[in-house]
Amino acid sequence: MSIDIKTVERKGGTPQERVYLVEVFKGMAVTFGHFIRNFLDNSKLYVRHYPEVEPEITARWRGRHRLTRHEDGTVKCVACFMCQTNCPAKCIMIEAGERNDGRTEKLPVRFDIDLLECIYCGFCVEACPMDAIRMDTGIYALTGTERDSFVIGLNELLQSESPFTDEEYKKGSK
Amino acid sequence: MADTIKLSVNGVEVEVQAGKNLVDAVAAVGIEIPHICYHPALGADGNCRMCLVEIEDGRPPLVPACKTRAVEGMKVRLDSEKIKKIQRDIMEFELINHPIDCPICDQAGECILQDYYMKYDGAQSRMRVPQVVKGKKIDFGAGVVHDQERCVLCARCVRFTRLITKTGELGIVNRTDQARVNIFPGRPLSNRYSLNVVDLCPVGAMTSSDFRFKQRAWFLTKSKGICHGCSKGCNIFIDHNREKYQDDIIYRYRPRHNEQVNGYFICDAGRMTYKQENEKRLRTPLASGQQADLESAINALKRRLDQAANPFFVVSPNCSLEQMHAIQQLAAQKKATVSGFSEGYIQEGDGDDWLIQDDKAANRAAFAVLGIDETKEVFNSALKGADLVVNFGNDLSLSGVNNTSLGTAEMAFIGSYANSCADAAAYLVPVASYSEDSGSIINVDGVLQRYETAVKKNVPFPNMLSVIRQLGGGLDDVQAARTSLGNTVEAFKKLDLQNIPAQGLALTASEVGNVTA
Repeated sequence: MSIDIKTVERKGGTPQERVYLVEVFKGMAVTFGHFIRNFLDNSKLYVRHYPEVEPEITARWRGRHRLTRHEDGTVKCVACFMCQTNCPAKCIMIEAGERNDGRTEKLPVRFDIDLLECIYCGFCVEACPMDAIRMDTGIYALTGTERDSFVIGLNELLQSESPFTDEEYKKGSK
Repeated sequence: MADTIKLSVNGVEVEVQAGKNLVDAVAAVGIEIPHICYHPALGADGNCRMCLVEIEDGRPPLVPACKTRAVEGMKVRLDSEKIKKIQRDIMEFELINHPIDCPICDQAGECILQDYYMKYDGAQSRMRVPQVVKGKKIDFGAGVVHDQERCVLCARCVRFTRLITKTGELGIVNRTDQARVNIFPGRPLSNRYSLNVVDLCPVGAMTSSDFRFKQRAWFLTKSKGICHGCSKGCNIFIDHNREKYQDDIIYRYRPRHNEQVNGYFICDAGRMTYKQENEKRLRTPLASGQQADLESAINALKRRLDQAANPFFVVSPNCSLEQMHAIQQLAAQKKATVSGFSEGYIQEGDGDDWLIQDDKAANRAAFAVLGIDETKEVFNSALKGADLVVNFGNDLSLSGVNNTSLGTAEMAFIGSYANSCADAAAYLVPVASYSEDSGSIINVDGVLQRYETAVKKNVPFPNMLSVIRQLGGGLDDVQAARTSLGNTVEAFKKLDLQNIPAQGLALTASEVGNVTA
């Protein structure tokens, strides 16, 4: 296989460009042009007024995780460790126990995610055979003052609700 | 070396051992014949039909490999379309009523159905009728939990209780899709080798209640080890794992095949000794009764040992050969008496004629080889004159020596496990246990075996040899100890202690009985 070589013409060689100051003023004219135009009317700026205006998030956007439940409120997760096995950041820590709610035999008694280690790749969601873990909470801003506060447990993961309906989630966007 | 014969597998000529069945014979040269019900310890049953192979020009042309003896000139075919179809059909048959609950099944990752499905089947289910519902989570006793839906009715467990333990608690009741492995009503598994059915089960039908849901099989590091539960020295796999932000701990022991020692099995009691490795451990060093860091505890003990007029060393029969040798050297240097008095480790009448032994110490046979005295008389007389007793892991309370009988002597304890001797010690040095250390031991039958470091703790305990060196001993590490053993001990002069074979080395009667003292 041959490689195509494209020779790029070197610019900046004309006398006007070599004087340099002329080009500086031309550049500044563009900058000040933008500045004055946006100073007088900022409605067309490509800037989001965060945090007053929050970004619009689609259902397929990967935010903080949550654990889902069956219709009767029981936990969907069966503690199969597929997410933990698949996690490239090794941020999921599960402990399994006996389950007695008549669903299967196994359930997580501890399900910790270290959000500081998480890289939000979504592999856990893809690995899950039960659709028990999703990243559709739309939570993207996490703050805390201690490292430990970023390790979220079973209760927190189960309490989070999704702003999307199941149909939206399956379709992938709002 | 046994006789070899030549036969051809898939048209390729291979040389295999004579007198074996086809499965074992060609497995030795790296060719796998899939089989579910056959296990070398239980013999051929031929109920699963997975090992059917084609014999060219043979009568009959299709035979179960587990029941067919390998003979000279045999032409075995595993790759014909006919055989592949048989394997696919049998897998489909096994999976008709299988719940496929691999996500919650402990066997996942080491399951024959998973492996064979990927290798020999790979087809979608054609079943359009509801599956047969059977019993789940049935307690069979002795820590065995049975799941009838996952069972493939290979009868390995049934044959184990009938042929090996001869207790016959298990049986298969009913026929066709109503067939289930079950116990007799009110007669649970009650033999002392019951948990072997969990290892024998090729699928997840038998699970151990102790290990149930603790870990997935693929997280576990499977290191080789030797069980120290009794003097048999059964070969085991130490399955351990370090969870994130936690320490490396052991989750289970599994038997490791060694024809010379334990065959394919271990006893339930030995299997559970892993708990001692995780819990019941000594952790805090003591110097003159005060908590101290490791370095200062060892230094304080060294000073105390140098001052002692009559030190007395007590050795545990669980110490490795290398450790005992180092202790003996240190004792010679400090002019201390060494005693291995530990009659309490022997539980008279507890053993049987198979694996379980009366003697619950792993390396008592080494006392005779190294010439360490273990009589009560020598122990008592040495104890009377002693002002410092250095105890190397020997739980004397088992042998009826309580702390008051030590008299005025001060006690130092260098060991791994908590016991009342360690509680009474003024100097305490916690050391690595056998799963975290390497060494060699001699079992009750005179088989010399070595074990290597399996578990690596976040903050490792020092090994006993390095502590002995810091106390003034002259041996640097296990290799140095083995060289020294080979040079000084008559029985080991002709042996290569650095390279003990993996299956152990059977010492001759004269070597074991060679008392040098």
